[in-house]
Amino acid sequence: MQPPGGQFGAFETSQAELGSVKSRLPYHWGVQPDRVVVFAVVVVPFLGAALTPLVYRVLGERTAYYAAAVAAVCLGLVANLGLSGAHGTVSVPWIPEYGVSLAFYVDGLALLIATLASGVGVLVFTYSGGYMHGEPGQKKYYATLLAFMGSMLGVALAADLIALFVFWELTSVSSFLLIGHYQDADSSQYAARKSMLITVAGGLFMLVGFVLLHDASAGALGEATFRLAGDDSMLANAGAMVDALRAEGLFVPVLLLVGMGAATKSAQVPFHIWLPNAMEAPTPVSAFLHSATMVKAGVYLVGRFRPLLFSDPEWVLVFAVLGLVTMTVAAILAVGASDIKELLAYSTASHLGLIVAGFGLSGYVGAETGAFHILNHALFKAALFLVAGIIAHEAGTRAISELGGLREDLPMTAAVTVVAALGMAGVPPFNGFYSKELLFEGAWHVAEHQAGAGSPLWWLLPAVAVFGSVFTFLYSIRFLMLFFGEKPGELGEVGSPPLAMTLPAVVLGGLALVVGLGGVTATVGVHLEPLESFVASVANSAAVGGTEHEAISYHLPTEVTPYVLMSAVTIAVGAVAYPFFDRIRDGVRTVRSVDPLRPNWYYDNGTGALDRSSVVDVVQTGLLRTYAAALALATAGLALGAYAAAGVAVPDLALAGLETALIVVLLVAAIGAVAVTAAPSHISGVLTLSIVGFMVAIFYILASAPDLALTQLVIETLVLVIFLLVLDKLPAFYGGPSRLRAGRDAIVAGAVGLTVTVTVLVSTAGTPNDVIAQYFVANGGVPEEHPAFFLDAGGGGNIVNVILVDFRAFDTLGEISVIAMAALSVITLIAMRDRGETQ
Amino acid sequence: MSMDREPTVIARTVTRLVVPMILVTAIALLFQGHNLPGGGFIAGVLTVVAFALVYIIFGLDYLQTELFERVSVSVPYDPETGIVKEFGSIFALGLAVAAGSGIVAMAFGRPFLTQGILFVEPLPIYEYLEVASALVFDLGVYAVVVGGLLTITAVVGEE
Repeated sequence: MQPPGGQFGAFETSQAELGSVKSRLPYHWGVQPDRVVVFAVVVVPFLGAALTPLVYRVLGERTAYYAAAVAAVCLGLVANLGLSGAHGTVSVPWIPEYGVSLAFYVDGLALLIATLASGVGVLVFTYSGGYMHGEPGQKKYYATLLAFMGSMLGVALAADLIALFVFWELTSVSSFLLIGHYQDADSSQYAARKSMLITVAGGLFMLVGFVLLHDASAGALGEATFRLAGDDSMLANAGAMVDALRAEGLFVPVLLLVGMGAATKSAQVPFHIWLPNAMEAPTPVSAFLHSATMVKAGVYLVGRFRPLLFSDPEWVLVFAVLGLVTMTVAAILAVGASDIKELLAYSTASHLGLIVAGFGLSGYVGAETGAFHILNHALFKAALFLVAGIIAHEAGTRAISELGGLREDLPMTAAVTVVAALGMAGVPPFNGFYSKELLFEGAWHVAEHQAGAGSPLWWLLPAVAVFGSVFTFLYSIRFLMLFFGEKPGELGEVGSPPLAMTLPAVVLGGLALVVGLGGVTATVGVHLEPLESFVASVANSAAVGGTEHEAISYHLPTEVTPYVLMSAVTIAVGAVAYPFFDRIRDGVRTVRSVDPLRPNWYYDNGTGALDRSSVVDVVQTGLLRTYAAALALATAGLALGAYAAAGVAVPDLALAGLETALIVVLLVAAIGAVAVTAAPSHISGVLTLSIVGFMVAIFYILASAPDLALTQLVIETLVLVIFLLVLDKLPAFYGGPSRLRAGRDAIVAGAVGLTVTVTVLVSTAGTPNDVIAQYFVANGGVPEEHPAFFLDAGGGGNIVNVILVDFRAFDTLGEISVIAMAALSVITLIAMRDRGETQ
Repeated sequence: MSMDREPTVIARTVTRLVVPMILVTAIALLFQGHNLPGGGFIAGVLTVVAFALVYIIFGLDYLQTELFERVSVSVPYDPETGIVKEFGSIFALGLAVAAGSGIVAMAFGRPFLTQGILFVEPLPIYEYLEVASALVFDLGVYAVVVGGLLTITAVVGEE
């Protein structure tokens, strides 16, 4: 591993100089975060989600504002953490046997993602109040969205790999539910399945990576741990961790596995295909999950692991290349889009590529790029999604070709779009310009450094960055032009959106504008201090090897540098090419339609082939008997296999000395069991079966267990009665089964019987310590000397019942809860099954 | 039971006689459970047997229309208007009683579900009466079993 920060010594110094200008921080790093506050951040949204159904009964559609209030509480708590300068870990044990804890780590990166999740959450919930008016399934919608917010906050703060994984997959699950919000539409189902399949599969790769890291930590830290951040964690011992991984040859596999998780979640090429489909979700969901937060989980992961796994050239090669390829390919695809949400989806993938590329680059500037662009992208892209929602809501269409000249009808929205779209294009002085400039700077430095070391191929990095940015410029301007030019004749009345919808967009646009203007004022020496130090704290989280700055500095270029020229070239080429936009778009569409170039083609063919394959027909027959057989055989196999693996000896049967009465009873039961198989009809089958049951009851009486016998008799009677109730509705007889099927069933039944017999023999042969039994006997009855009221003995003559209601009353409480739950599920599954979402 | 096969007069008469006896037996089992075979669970199942018998012989609507004097509705076992609602309240109440009896112990500073025994003496004829707080818990068990199993029987039977 390279000595951290060493390769661009001169560059780091210049950054440090810039940083040293500002020693006026609101942050006092190192304050231990308040445990209650940190846990509340994650717990409050889940509580809010659980209460949503109740709240919905009272508030109806205004539940949106309740959800916004919950998000505001979270934002307040996150802000409290940020302003108090909290930095550190809080944890509670979760699965101590495996060293898993529910640990949360607060630092700049965590706070940024948490701020986005809760802050954009407030705006999106407010916006939903207008957008979701009259839509179906709102209860589910708000509950899921709140649960998603909690999961995302969990991802941002998790300091334990297992906790991180759990929250990570929870975001995938809630995304699945939200994409499939219109659950009757085929396209929604397809989109939801696709996103679930890709993101969850990626998450599993990541889990394997985590387990490998856990293994390596045993060597590096002396004790295996899942702790990612904080004291005695992997990040705190990054050097030792990398050495341990390299020693086992696991470094590159772990890098790729973790990268796989990030790439699928953040829609990097070729896994970007789920993101455009995900636009089936209601627009607020797209703005929240699929631009501002969930897709940021992947880049968050890259940023979080950067201090741990950064290495030259593996890390740079993997992430800088992945990011730049995604940035370019997705930008080109965005140009070919025909729907405004599709355009924004590809654009999101493209900008996530930019962030990944930033984190992929070496030096502090890499961390800075990623950190700053996460913020900038969330501001302008969430604003643009809200704009897209307003357009779709008011104009009634999302087709780019049908839209134009919206400026007159939607003046406020147009103003927001100008700020956001130009920020997305990277035009100075809007916010996206500064972070893109940092990317150019980083790419240039890496190329210069590597070319100096003899590999000129690295010059492709800055070249690709510029090439991709040209397309970004093109589609951004195309989006902006929806508001200018001629209004197409076929576009009907365009209404004006409610305040609940415009206000969040204006807030986001306003924030983006402030960030942009901060760069202008910084040029003349007036800095936007809180922002600069906050971004620096984020970058510090992703910085390698202790390089830290108090603040970043961003401003308009004041001198001509290679990267300023790169920006100038981007904008100039973009402006020259824009008049030919339609021809470029048609070209993109032609290339896009070639099947082997489309990842979707592989996805559809792959899943389609699985769907058609005979595996499904064999496994999913839809017949209860198949599933029952699989379940029974699996149980029997697992139990018997476990006995064999543990080397359990089957005790001998002690048949001698059995009472004659017992033998008779058991023989009758056995004959009854055989007779069931030969019963000519259902009724006689059930009656014969009850012979077995009643014989077992008699067995209990002979074995001096009157309570068991009573229970057995009553249950047997009830089952018989219920059978008779049901049998009346069944056909008298189905006809004889085929020999093959009878044979197969005999094998299943035999296996189950064998398992039960062995289990009973093995478990009764064990001679447990009977201290507990003696305790029950000694304390179950009424003591000879006792006061009028006593607590220390059972006081009953029937020890079975005393155990049930006194000694082990907690168990009984659990059992009756199960009965109540079974009754509830019967009600919901059978009696209420016709009542779907429509209420 | 379907309308095409009316139960015989014998079956109907016997049921009328037997059902009250089963119910009395069930209650006896519930109360003697602490000292003799019996208890909430057995008593509950026995009670359900009595009701199931009524279902089979007199039809599924009988309880609803005769006992609860409710007009037969189009969906007899709708969980919000039908008799299942009462069954639902029975097992909910039972669960509350069982858990509540445990919480009472906590109010006295004892662990959850601690049970006590009170001997009331002297009494005429019986000399003494043993009152176990566990009986309250057992009543809860009884109610859950009755409510839960009746719900299942009613809903499944309606199918």
